[in-house]
Amino acid sequence: MALLNIENLFVHYGLKTVLHNLSFTINAGEGWVIRGESGSGKTTLGKAISGQLRSTGQLKIDFNPQSPLPAEVLFVESWYRFTNLEGDRNFYYQQRYNHYQRKDTSTVAHELEQYGKEHSLSNARLEELLTTLNYHEVLDEQLFEISSGEHKKLQLVKALWLQPQLLIIDQPYTGLDVRSRANLNTLLNQYTTAGGALLLISNDMELPECGTHFITLEAGRIVPADKALYLKEQIAKPLPTFLLSPPQYTSQDIISMHDVAVRYDEKYVLSDIHWQVKAGERWLLQGPNGSGKSTLLSLITADHPQAYANHITLFGVKRGDGESIWDIKKRIGLISPELHWYFDANATVSQSLASGFFDSNGQYQKLRYAQKQQLEELLKFLNLFDVRNELLTTLPLGKQRLALLGRTIIKNPQLLVLDEPCQGLDHQQTRYFNHLVDTISKNGVTIIYVGHFESQLPACLTHKLVLAQGKMVVNESY
Amino acid sequence: MANYFNTLPLREQLNQLGVAEFMSNDEFADGVDALKGKKIVIVGCGAQGLNQGLNLRDSGLDISYALRKEAIEQKRDSWKNATDNNFKVGTYDELIPTADLVINLTPDKQHTSVINAVMPLMKQGATLSYSHGFNIVEEGMQIRKDITVIMVAPKCPGSEVRAEYVRGFGVPTLIAVHPENDPEGKGFDQAKAYCVGTGGHRAGVLNSSFVAEVKSDLMGEQTILCGLLQTGSILSFDKMIEKGIDAGYASKLVQYGVEVVTEALKHGGVTGMMDRLSNPAKIKAYKVAEELKQIMRPLFQKHQDDIMSGTFSRVMMEDWANGDANLLKWRAETGETAFEKTPAGDVKIGDQEYFDNYTLMVAFIKAGVELAFETMVEAGIQPESAYYESLHETPLIANTIARKKLFEMNRVISDTAEYGCYLFDQACKPLLGDFMKTVDTDLVGKNYNEGKDGSVDNQELVEINEAIRNHPVEIVGRKLRKAMTAMKAIKTA
Repeated sequence: MALLNIENLFVHYGLKTVLHNLSFTINAGEGWVIRGESGSGKTTLGKAISGQLRSTGQLKIDFNPQSPLPAEVLFVESWYRFTNLEGDRNFYYQQRYNHYQRKDTSTVAHELEQYGKEHSLSNARLEELLTTLNYHEVLDEQLFEISSGEHKKLQLVKALWLQPQLLIIDQPYTGLDVRSRANLNTLLNQYTTAGGALLLISNDMELPECGTHFITLEAGRIVPADKALYLKEQIAKPLPTFLLSPPQYTSQDIISMHDVAVRYDEKYVLSDIHWQVKAGERWLLQGPNGSGKSTLLSLITADHPQAYANHITLFGVKRGDGESIWDIKKRIGLISPELHWYFDANATVSQSLASGFFDSNGQYQKLRYAQKQQLEELLKFLNLFDVRNELLTTLPLGKQRLALLGRTIIKNPQLLVLDEPCQGLDHQQTRYFNHLVDTISKNGVTIIYVGHFESQLPACLTHKLVLAQGKMVVNESY
Repeated sequence: MANYFNTLPLREQLNQLGVAEFMSNDEFADGVDALKGKKIVIVGCGAQGLNQGLNLRDSGLDISYALRKEAIEQKRDSWKNATDNNFKVGTYDELIPTADLVINLTPDKQHTSVINAVMPLMKQGATLSYSHGFNIVEEGMQIRKDITVIMVAPKCPGSEVRAEYVRGFGVPTLIAVHPENDPEGKGFDQAKAYCVGTGGHRAGVLNSSFVAEVKSDLMGEQTILCGLLQTGSILSFDKMIEKGIDAGYASKLVQYGVEVVTEALKHGGVTGMMDRLSNPAKIKAYKVAEELKQIMRPLFQKHQDDIMSGTFSRVMMEDWANGDANLLKWRAETGETAFEKTPAGDVKIGDQEYFDNYTLMVAFIKAGVELAFETMVEAGIQPESAYYESLHETPLIANTIARKKLFEMNRVISDTAEYGCYLFDQACKPLLGDFMKTVDTDLVGKNYNEGKDGSVDNQELVEINEAIRNHPVEIVGRKLRKAMTAMKAIKTA
């Protein structure tokens, strides 16, 4: 008997029909992959199956009472949320760099312990998962201190520990480094072999061997894979004019770090960092999850208090010489998974882009005429003009990311810090964005780009820095 | 030391009480210039001390921390907070003599001993800053005449001060210069620069006075903010138990209800909060609030009178001298109430249900906010100051109750607020005895609209809506909230 049987399934949001007449059947032990461009209904389908959204038509789940796996459906969201000990989500993304003695969230270990108790799970299995995903090191950290890739792993550890009969994972690879991806695929193969039914929502190419069935969605309908819009190349538009002029450099030395170290109590997150970035250079920054990339970038974007205790010169001015963080931020366009995570939930698409002029999280100041022009040009260029008055958080994840990318370039800054900018984007969008980066780079902007996959990088990069366990292991021309 | 306020002639008392000017953005055009390159030493490194220091340093100012020798030697939390974030830390002797500006961010109760230790070390012509004026106004601390004395008081908890700053915004802030200590006339410029350094200038700044700040702050915290929330919570819980509502449900409704209800207050004032109710419930809540105001007005007036005359602070300081005997006793009693001891049940209560099933609390809050505001304004405090110390702070205190009930609220607020809160609570409960006998579960515990047909009289509704919207706290509130619309919503449970 089929585990999941879907016939003539519809989902409506108000008057809008987001899923049209879907029919398919999934059996125990099968691996399925849902593909489609951002906004095509992938996440909606996952939520409908897990019962989080109301649907019409037939959606039948027949658990196998003989299976050793628990008779449950689990939907793992692409977006991970945690709360502090008081059930509160009032965090800001720089918080993990400030040190305050009172601890507000629980530790990773405590979180897992609670989860295991709740579901009566075996600790031996947990050990196995922690080892395979190389996750022991972060167990003692506070939830808000760990990186986005480590949060993703925490979700995966929980899901694979529970091993429900039907497991749906939205964007399983987001933020994972190359090794972690391979390890995850091994675990997913084991899961289907054990009789689990797997549904991955992903446009990734490096899928597990068990992923043998595909559904491609386009505007809420199932289409044959080769006809899918997302595979078509997007026609390149001319760049907005304001992005053609070179940035106004105040110094040829953009970043200069001498013997930089960051530590919490006795634990070093970064050490022995000697790094020079000159105007117009375009760096690739790489390293496994938890190697210190985000911390290194936070020293550059003036988000880390320990910058004051180090020899760091930014844009020709030594940190701690009386400059304000806003003097530094106005020269930088930043996007990172953390910024996205904590971004103002009340901002519209338009406000989100415009806040890039002020380096604020949400827009609190009025735009001048020229800024309004620039905003409109950029919205049109990114195909976001029609949704400019929607709340950012109501767009599909990929489109949200695109809007925040717009935020980084809106003021044509001297330095672009692009920390995994394509996380959550599909292949088409990734190619499109990287093409955009290549085009913009011709005006001489300095770039630091974090990306795990060689196949998903812009072509313009000139230098490469690789971190491992907080130290530089590669520092060379690319 | 004599109570400073009581040494003033009446016209000067009224003059200082009446200072409240909402400042416009362009008054902050000079940024942090007035403090640029100056040595700023913060005394104390708790939540306010650390977070304000992080902001000021990130604004390009030179910040270090002076801590007591024992705090440094024993590596206490304050020492760790400062050193972990790479601030320079030293003893009073090492750092105070170098300071152009000393910022006192220690708890109220320590002010006298801190100032007595710090003042002799301060250099000629330096500036001393407070974030609360109790020490100057009530304790009558005399500061050396060459020293400038200012106040910069962010009207939010320290963690919020930091979170809003790094988002590129700030929290509403009150600034003041002590007229007895402004020998060079530089106090106002320095207070503005300090305010810019914390980001406060982006969220609305009130130019106030030490006197206005203290007299309104004490009044607000004793009555609506802490006292009435405590009384209302306990009476509501007890009533539900008496009427047979499930204890877990009652506990949860009371613990989280005031937070959800006051979140509406934060966004849309009393009007916004009342508009969350159905029309029949709104009319009922309005009438109940009017009744409550009539019953409680003499108590609010007594608190304001005791604050103005200095009686309150004198009695409280006697308790300080007596090793906090009363405070500790009352604190223990609060920990023993049935509400405190009943854990919140594992039931889901939706956002709207908190309004529909807890209409009594809406009435309590409307009555308390309006009474506190009216009483302050009658006593010579300006509407802007009265707004900050009544309506504005209510959601912030409600937030602490949602965390860990009244015990948490009383732990987080200052000892001064806590002392006043108990005084109010003890007097208010018996005062409301007869009123509470008339309350049934439609007002607290069950949906007010249940079993009613929802009809209302048009004319009555129009009149009540108008009365709600045109209350003076709503008029000044609309203006002040506009300046802080961008503040992130306090989360709900």
